[in-house]
Amino acid sequence: MVPLWYFTPNLDRWYWAGGTGVLSAVELYGLFAITQPDNLCVTNAGYVANQASNGLIIGSIYALTAVGLTLIYSVQGIVSFAHGQSYMIGGYASYYFLQLFTDLNPIVGVPVAGLVTMLIGFAFERLFLRPMHLGRIERAGEYAILITFGFGFFLQYTALAIVGPFSQKTDTYLESGSLHLGPLNLIPNRLVAAAVGMVLIGILLYFINHTWTGKALRAVSMDKQAAAVTGINPLTMNTLAFGIGTMLAGMSGAALIPVFTWVPWVGMLASTRSYVIIVLGGLGSIPGALAGGLIIGLVEALGAGCYPDPSRGAAYKTAFGLILFALTLLLRPTGLFGRES
Amino acid sequence: MKHRIDSRWIAVAVLVTLLVLTPLYLKRSPYQMAVLTGAFFYAILASSWALLAGIAGQFSFAHMAFVGIGAYTAGLLGRDLGTTPLVGILAGTLMAGLVGLIIGLLCLRLKAAYLALFTIAFSEILRIVIVTEFEFTEGSNGLQLSKLWEGVTGTQEYYVTLALLLGSMALMYWLAGSRFGLFVRSMREDEEAASAMGVNVVRYKVMIFVITSLIVGLAGSVFYHQVGIITPNTMEILQMSMVIAMAVIGGMESLLGAAIGAFLSRFGLEMLREINILGFHLELGAWRYAAFGLLLIFTLRFAQNGLLYPIIDRLFKRRAREETVAKRVQETEVES
Amino acid sequence: MIELDIRDVYKSFGGIQALNGVSFSIRGNELIGLIGPNGAGKTTLTNVLDGVYKSTSGQVWFNGQRIDGLPPYEIARRGIGRTFQVTRAFRRMTVLENMLVPAMALHPTARQRDFHDKAMEVLEFLTIKHLAHDYARSLSGGQQKLLELGRLLMLDPDIIILDEPFAGVHPKLMETTYEYIKLVHEQGKAFIIISHDMDSIFTLSKRLLVLNFGELIADGDPKTVKEDPAVIEAYLGEEEEEEEGPAVIPAGRLVISEEEGSNA
Repeated sequence: MVPLWYFTPNLDRWYWAGGTGVLSAVELYGLFAITQPDNLCVTNAGYVANQASNGLIIGSIYALTAVGLTLIYSVQGIVSFAHGQSYMIGGYASYYFLQLFTDLNPIVGVPVAGLVTMLIGFAFERLFLRPMHLGRIERAGEYAILITFGFGFFLQYTALAIVGPFSQKTDTYLESGSLHLGPLNLIPNRLVAAAVGMVLIGILLYFINHTWTGKALRAVSMDKQAAAVTGINPLTMNTLAFGIGTMLAGMSGAALIPVFTWVPWVGMLASTRSYVIIVLGGLGSIPGALAGGLIIGLVEALGAGCYPDPSRGAAYKTAFGLILFALTLLLRPTGLFGRES
Repeated sequence: MKHRIDSRWIAVAVLVTLLVLTPLYLKRSPYQMAVLTGAFFYAILASSWALLAGIAGQFSFAHMAFVGIGAYTAGLLGRDLGTTPLVGILAGTLMAGLVGLIIGLLCLRLKAAYLALFTIAFSEILRIVIVTEFEFTEGSNGLQLSKLWEGVTGTQEYYVTLALLLGSMALMYWLAGSRFGLFVRSMREDEEAASAMGVNVVRYKVMIFVITSLIVGLAGSVFYHQVGIITPNTMEILQMSMVIAMAVIGGMESLLGAAIGAFLSRFGLEMLREINILGFHLELGAWRYAAFGLLLIFTLRFAQNGLLYPIIDRLFKRRAREETVAKRVQETEVES
Repeated sequence: MIELDIRDVYKSFGGIQALNGVSFSIRGNELIGLIGPNGAGKTTLTNVLDGVYKSTSGQVWFNGQRIDGLPPYEIARRGIGRTFQVTRAFRRMTVLENMLVPAMALHPTARQRDFHDKAMEVLEFLTIKHLAHDYARSLSGGQQKLLELGRLLMLDPDIIILDEPFAGVHPKLMETTYEYIKLVHEQGKAFIIISHDMDSIFTLSKRLLVLNFGELIADGDPKTVKEDPAVIEAYLGEEEEEEEGPAVIPAGRLVISEEEGSNA
């Protein structure tokens, strides 16, 4: 007795998947509106707009973290299970830097964190991933999962040991309260973080598309052997990709520490969320990671904001994204823009 | 048919005897006995994960979730319906098996990293629900469970857990050596080719999930009756990481390696809480785990089969390679 | 008697039509060569027969039962076995264990020792008995191909599909493969052999099926097929294309912009 769905095909084209997604979202909203007519999300458009915009703002930072992860996947072909820890370390790097140079705006912490995490990424890749690419490791697939996982484990507990189970927070970017734009109630602090995220993604895109190194990275991601034949060293590109990926994660952490309180296990959530985003967007696709980040930001914000029981809604925030994630894995593992493997 | 008595049976017998006799020495330190009991529990978790991931190739991160399902089912039934621990344990085991069945079915088409991610998602969702619905589950405070029976002692708990460990190891060894083991290994190697060779990949993939979730569901419901309380932290990814680390360090493809690895790791980590040398007192705290993580990475890199692999290979596998089906057949011919 | 009927099978992947209404039948222990230019759909057809792919439309009937849509293990159980273009032995299992998998799969109540002798016999015939307890990954490419042939025999299928059995095999192993095919054929099994090795195909097979762009363009005895103008054009036409056409660019994995084939 084989379950029917085992043999049903995946949703084939991205517009079918995207279309189905939008359609189900609309149906869900319709159902929601009928059963919860008093809910703020149904009666107050301004509220919805507010939630949505806040979601998009946070989503752009999520996107930054995820872009790093998807970049690593596209060049190396592996999912790094240590990504959330890079994010966490980036935040702490910025924090400690700012403790040393107390008068600086937290935004300076971003490149500092980027440097630190990038170096860590380079070191790890060179020492533990390169042997795999050189064919010196048996069962490479398992190894890739476990070694990045182990690295995350190590980073997590090292951070916990150094920092202790306490929370830290840096100063905010800007002092002012909230910004009122029509019905929208935005927090400038978060806007700055989002702006940082967008700028960095923009720089990355420029780098990937218009610099020689960036194009070399793309070449390796498409066809390692072909790239090697043209004189590009895939091993160097692997290390570079990993370093850039961890750098982006670190920088997203540094961008957010002025906004959120930081604890050593803040990376766990970021990890999970990044997986969700890259699968949703399609493994290896940067526009996918961007779209995915924004979608998840939206889903979390609207889910938390519209759930009938506000405290539960907040607690279930992550769960909404996870459910979407599970559905994507089951129905369309290639995500929105991923390549059919 | 005669049973061959060879070194591996002897080694196992010695080990088991040691473990059975240990409480006699530890009567005065209930703490150490409790640590050992906990180590047995982790040995069950690690070896069953080794069966699931190392031998059958299913990298599931939902293992701890099944432990939690077992324990929470038992706890909730005990609290709301007043069931005895035995009933709770039975229910917890079955519930874990049922959810294992569902997860197995859902994971049929998922490969490697996707399977890992999906099971992470499942674990997280479950954990979040338990934390949030605290009115029902006591959330982060944890749900209390009664003791296994009135007046149960630490020594008795020790033996119960040891029995569970020995029982599950025996079961898993039997499975691994049977056609079940043959099939799941072929599926690990190449699922499509296995299917083309007639292996019912659907059935066996689901079976391996059900069996391992039954085992850890049972272990979880029993163990947490001993601990007295189950919290959602058990289902955190960090806890899962710990089990995986132990299995990998011990030897992921060897049930015995994973079990011993987990046992030693757990025991070692507990004993290393603080060091008192020459008047120096050092609280190691999280550093022990950081070092453990480092050990994990280096083991993976330089001793991918696990640190215990060379020992196990010498003691057990060498024998097995000689004692092939051929020899066994020859013997039966000689005897008859 | 063995009966296989393929009726109007279509198979498409996204925009690509891999099989375009293929129909043919097999009766008894035929020895059929399946040929065609690269990309004609030979392996796709095998995958559909084997259950790895589900056809977009059409039916496959085997020994009076409809088998299209069944999973590969069901089809294997009913008597269709295949090898793969790139050998797919179970690498971390021994050669003997590789042989035992299909045997055990087919006989739910048997024990491993029941098939030990048969497995060894087959291995001996294939000249790799001495490797029985070695891990499959330590075998050479040619030896792994032989292992796949042995594995198939343990499955005792009625129809055997060999996907490129002669590719990259050195002459000595080639002989063993020939002998294997002849012997097993005499025992009453049907063969479908996919190969680019025209010499072997023309020597061995009594009937040729020619695929081109997913269509069956010829079906008959080797002599007739060889002189069929459609067949000649298919092969010659391909050669011309190879000289003129642009190099094929693989779809990008790092998708940066919409234009770069982001479609899954």
